[in-house]
Amino acid sequence: MGPLIPQEIIGEGWNFFIAFAVGIGFGFVLEQAGFSSSRKLAGVFYGYDAVVLKVFFTAAVTGMLGLLYFSLFDWIDLNLVWVNPTFLWSAIVGGVIMGAGFIIGGFCPGTSVCAAAIGKIDAMVFVGGIFIGIFAFAEMFPILKKFYMSNYLGQVKLSEVLGISQGALAFFVILAAIGMFWVAEIAEKKFPKEEY
Amino acid sequence: MTPRLRLTSIVIILGMIIAFVPENTTKPYKLTASELLEEVQYGTEMVSPDDLAEWLINNDPSIQLIDIRTPNEYEQFHLDNAMNIPLSQLLDEEWIDYLDQGIMMNIFYSNGTTLSHEAWMITRQLGYENNYVLQGGLNYWTETILNPSAPALTSPDDEIAKYTFRKGASQYFGGGSLTQSTAATKSKASKPKIKRKKKKKAPDGGC
Repeated sequence: MGPLIPQEIIGEGWNFFIAFAVGIGFGFVLEQAGFSSSRKLAGVFYGYDAVVLKVFFTAAVTGMLGLLYFSLFDWIDLNLVWVNPTFLWSAIVGGVIMGAGFIIGGFCPGTSVCAAAIGKIDAMVFVGGIFIGIFAFAEMFPILKKFYMSNYLGQVKLSEVLGISQGALAFFVILAAIGMFWVAEIAEKKFPKEEY
Repeated sequence: MTPRLRLTSIVIILGMIIAFVPENTTKPYKLTASELLEEVQYGTEMVSPDDLAEWLINNDPSIQLIDIRTPNEYEQFHLDNAMNIPLSQLLDEEWIDYLDQGIMMNIFYSNGTTLSHEAWMITRQLGYENNYVLQGGLNYWTETILNPSAPALTSPDDEIAKYTFRKGASQYFGGGSLTQSTAATKSKASKPKIKRKKKKKAPDGGC
């Protein structure tokens, strides 16, 4: 049956509308969970607050299990679900730059928009920075293109690279998530937040 | 038992179940005759020379050209970076990793389209994906990209735009007619916009 849009059960024109509605909901939940505070995000890196890590990994585990069970019951055709293509080196460098941005700015792109929407000035500066970055990257693209396109691995999944079944990989991801939550909680106790 | 411990154990149990059940294989890859007929009718396997030219100019890393003709013909002329898999050796063990994969977009070509279509038909029946056929083959490639002929002056704008692009592409690929080498057409050739043929589409996401 699913995915609904590629199978044309829902018209493609609805794509953006649904994305818009989901995006508003996502932003609302982020704000309600306190993610529009830059201390919350920076807390992951200093160890005093692991809520961000927990929320995103819980979301990943929920989504992963949901998709695998949907596929098992034949409710969704996983072959039609878009997988981002992997360009290994640019993904690594991009990840490092993005991580540095998280620590320095205290926002991830999503939460910065969220925080800007409720009027936080630091978030507005951060969003401005994002656009400067986009512009600089676009202008420099001809120089960066070769690197950007290097090491193309195609639309691979981790389970294919490791040569195990998707279900087995899912199980290991669940174990890894639980292990990380456990370590994170120890860290939270060890590095308590200093109040200002 | 606290609620979070209960939740954790439920998730672990669900994970164990999914780890041991076989993946859903109710959708076999092999096509029925009518599905194949439908694909052929819609021409989803075709790649136009203009699209291919754009991708090659942009150094699209996912493109793999495959020459289906005999090694002799391949020696005489072949497109840059094309590999040679003669039709008679299509089913050889050594090519299966190239033909049956989900990474590269293989584009078969021959002089016309008969050989490449035969190769496509066989690989498609085997359930391989990501194999395509260059529309019109090398003959049409030469005609449209290497030696494009000017449209009539009364042609619609997009015909003329297409010609301008082909003219630029012709220079890029070192084609025959270099009579009108203006800087404008050249810069146009070096950076045409990537217009992907319909692949799987879905919105990207991030945090």
